[in-house]
Amino acid sequence: MKKDFFRKMGFGLGPDETLPEDPVAWAEAQVETVPPLVWDGDIPTAAHLLDERAKFVYTDRRVIRKKFRDDRRAYREAKDQLRWETGEKYYESLDIAIRHNTALKSQAPVFERLWLFWHNHFAVAEKAMLACWNTGAYTRETIRPNMCGSFTDLVKAVTTSWTMIHHLDNSESVGPNSERGRWRRRNGKPATVNENHARELLELHTVSPAAGYTQKDVVSLSYIMAGWENRWSEKREECNPVRFDAKSHEPGNHVVLGKRYKQRGLSPKSKLNDVIEDLCAHPMCAEFVSTKLVRHFVSDDVTPEMVAPVIKAWQETDGHLPAVYKALIRVVYDHTGTHRKFLNPEVWMLQSVKLGQAPWPPQADEMKYDFKSKPKGKLNRPRSVMWEIGHHPHRPAQPNGWPDTEAEWLSPELLIRRLALAKRIADNTRIRPAFDSSIAKNFDNATDVIDYLNACKGNRAGDYVAARTDGIYLFPSEWMLKV
Amino acid sequence: MRVNRREFIAACGSLTLVGSPLFNARAATLAKRNLVIIMLRGGMDGLTAVQPRDNQMKKVRPDILVEGTKKLTSDFNLHPRLETFHQCWQEGSAAVYHATSIPYTGRSHFDGQNLMETGAHVAYSEKTGWLGRGMDAAELDGLAVSLPMPLLLRGSSGLDNYFPTYMRMPSQTALQNIQTSYTPGSDLAQTLDRVRHRPASMMMIHGDNEAHELAKVAADELARQDGPRIAVFDLDGFDTHAAQGGRDGEHGEQLNNYDRVLSVLKDNLGDAYDNTLILTLTEFGRKVEQNGGYGTEHGYGTAILMAGGLVRKAEIHADWPGLRSKDLFEGQDLDATVDARSIYCAAMSACFDVDFNYMKKHAFWDEDLTDVTERLFRV
Repeated sequence: MKKDFFRKMGFGLGPDETLPEDPVAWAEAQVETVPPLVWDGDIPTAAHLLDERAKFVYTDRRVIRKKFRDDRRAYREAKDQLRWETGEKYYESLDIAIRHNTALKSQAPVFERLWLFWHNHFAVAEKAMLACWNTGAYTRETIRPNMCGSFTDLVKAVTTSWTMIHHLDNSESVGPNSERGRWRRRNGKPATVNENHARELLELHTVSPAAGYTQKDVVSLSYIMAGWENRWSEKREECNPVRFDAKSHEPGNHVVLGKRYKQRGLSPKSKLNDVIEDLCAHPMCAEFVSTKLVRHFVSDDVTPEMVAPVIKAWQETDGHLPAVYKALIRVVYDHTGTHRKFLNPEVWMLQSVKLGQAPWPPQADEMKYDFKSKPKGKLNRPRSVMWEIGHHPHRPAQPNGWPDTEAEWLSPELLIRRLALAKRIADNTRIRPAFDSSIAKNFDNATDVIDYLNACKGNRAGDYVAARTDGIYLFPSEWMLKV
Repeated sequence: MRVNRREFIAACGSLTLVGSPLFNARAATLAKRNLVIIMLRGGMDGLTAVQPRDNQMKKVRPDILVEGTKKLTSDFNLHPRLETFHQCWQEGSAAVYHATSIPYTGRSHFDGQNLMETGAHVAYSEKTGWLGRGMDAAELDGLAVSLPMPLLLRGSSGLDNYFPTYMRMPSQTALQNIQTSYTPGSDLAQTLDRVRHRPASMMMIHGDNEAHELAKVAADELARQDGPRIAVFDLDGFDTHAAQGGRDGEHGEQLNNYDRVLSVLKDNLGDAYDNTLILTLTEFGRKVEQNGGYGTEHGYGTAILMAGGLVRKAEIHADWPGLRSKDLFEGQDLDATVDARSIYCAAMSACFDVDFNYMKKHAFWDEDLTDVTERLFRV
């Protein structure tokens, strides 16, 4: 049995978990259905968080800006108060706490690794305060429930979600010949489509540039997408649910990647559905996404042979995700021990926490917030720690998400952070015996690892205090960073 | 990752330093030239920083007109809280390029900030920054101080980044032990090797990481002949939709933050100030007319503030478009009559000792930019 596999495909086995007899079957059993989130407190819904956002933007833009227009200090104070009341600085940490608690305690850690993968595939960049109220809920309510169906359904859910539409500015799109576009032009206002969302749907979410689409395809897809918007209202600004507004939709036939999408009577909104289905059925989509999956779990050096079984499963099932995952799991197992992957900071951190049984993340009772003052201490820690290690999952700089190769993650400054965090986790870690059993369960070279730890401690090997600091040596060791 | 690069100490949260080793004869014989870019996020209002002496201003901004301004020229006044800048101006080492902008006319911070760093026309279409590409063209390599690497600097193949943490590091002995688990000669081992040879003061930071405090660290490093030659600062808060105010308003406050960074840099650079260029960069200017919250909305044309001994002379450069409504971009914004990238390209050309056209080709895809190097800078 290859024990490294538990870390390659999951977060490693915790001290209380028994060693599965068949690792592949163990992993496969985790990807059929969506497991529940693991959190002892209330999990805020996307709708509630959108209300909080609405309150913030309305009060800021329509009320206090006017009220305190003469007094910048009073304005700052009022705005701080508003930030606290609406959880602007709080929900982000709660989101990460829920994410990490679920990753660490879920019955299906393999599913949770995939959850983090899909979130980064359909990444939401640090922009427009999305991380404050929307991105976390989007991972829970848009991505997660759609992970065990078809890839097409996942893309449809993401593409029409409030968060992605706002993130990629689709609400700004006005078809030049739409009812609204014609009105705008008559009144001397610009009426154009914003291509951001269409471009990323092609480039990042589905077929990738390798499909050979052109700028014309991007514009055509933008026309098809025009009308999908976050409805605007006086009282809630942009914070209303997504709807399709035919008034902004560009009428007519549009050609994307050689296929003509026809105006269908009264329901132009179905064109987006059709085009997503075709994009997801495109051979480049299976290849692009499968390659990305293999690169994430197996190695930076992906070969066509590695990806072939995943693509095959994709094609045979029209992108039925559990089938794709199972093919992936087999490929990962087969390459365990021969191909290693440099883990990103978040996955590495979660594995270290799990092996060291460190108290992370803050629990529901510790995350209780009064919405009256600046969140401090544990209430702020999840977001600050992720920022500090250079991998805040809800705040990548660009819509292409966080990088996924060693070359991009290995730098002195990011290594320094891992070393310092390893020390912090080790300082909070539990006693030695649990550690030994974790090493035995999770490392194919357990003897080497234990010898290494003993050598690090030298003549203090039997020292109880030194034993507690095993994590300092184990977590940043090559076997933990690369698996 | 390559290890045969020199490493440089640096600083902080909102500061990025990029070093360059002594790699050629010129660098060994001539004084090193430094380029500092201060990114002003949120949309810096050129009309507040450098106010045109135009009666139109009173009409469109009755409640946020800046008072107590300092006269720069017969046509322009300076915001009173830009004191250091004013001092530089009087000494002949500060200038302004007004009515300029990156070629972006949308009004989104996110797209605009992406474009001010990439130098491109379509947001998110480029994954590298103009300064990174410029460094690459000049064959500079070194160390950036940032977490993560700012987009502005991406694209330089020889660039490495660094950013001090508030967390405590394991001991040197522990690091040495950890290294025994690394495959000798691997990228990982080489990276840890470099970490181990850094002083602890380079890895951890104590106390405040406000930009002006970190400016001292930057200045000390830039002043060294073999130290870094590029620093990037990131200042936020220019998005003043409300209480923008006049002299003591929010925008003045932010301008003063910039001025403090400038002041600390100038004081600590010493003689190196003479060979330094400090430029501002922002995503867009702000609308000419004030809004109901005594603030301003997102606009287009703005100003670039230039300071340092490499500035040719105290001067306001502008092909001034005017403020009458027919002069305004889309009827509401100060127009931009010169592509801001011409100024940045010229700055790189001057600081990196590389021909303008060569720089333009590598950093800006050979687009139609004007060579203003000799007009603006001492070369």
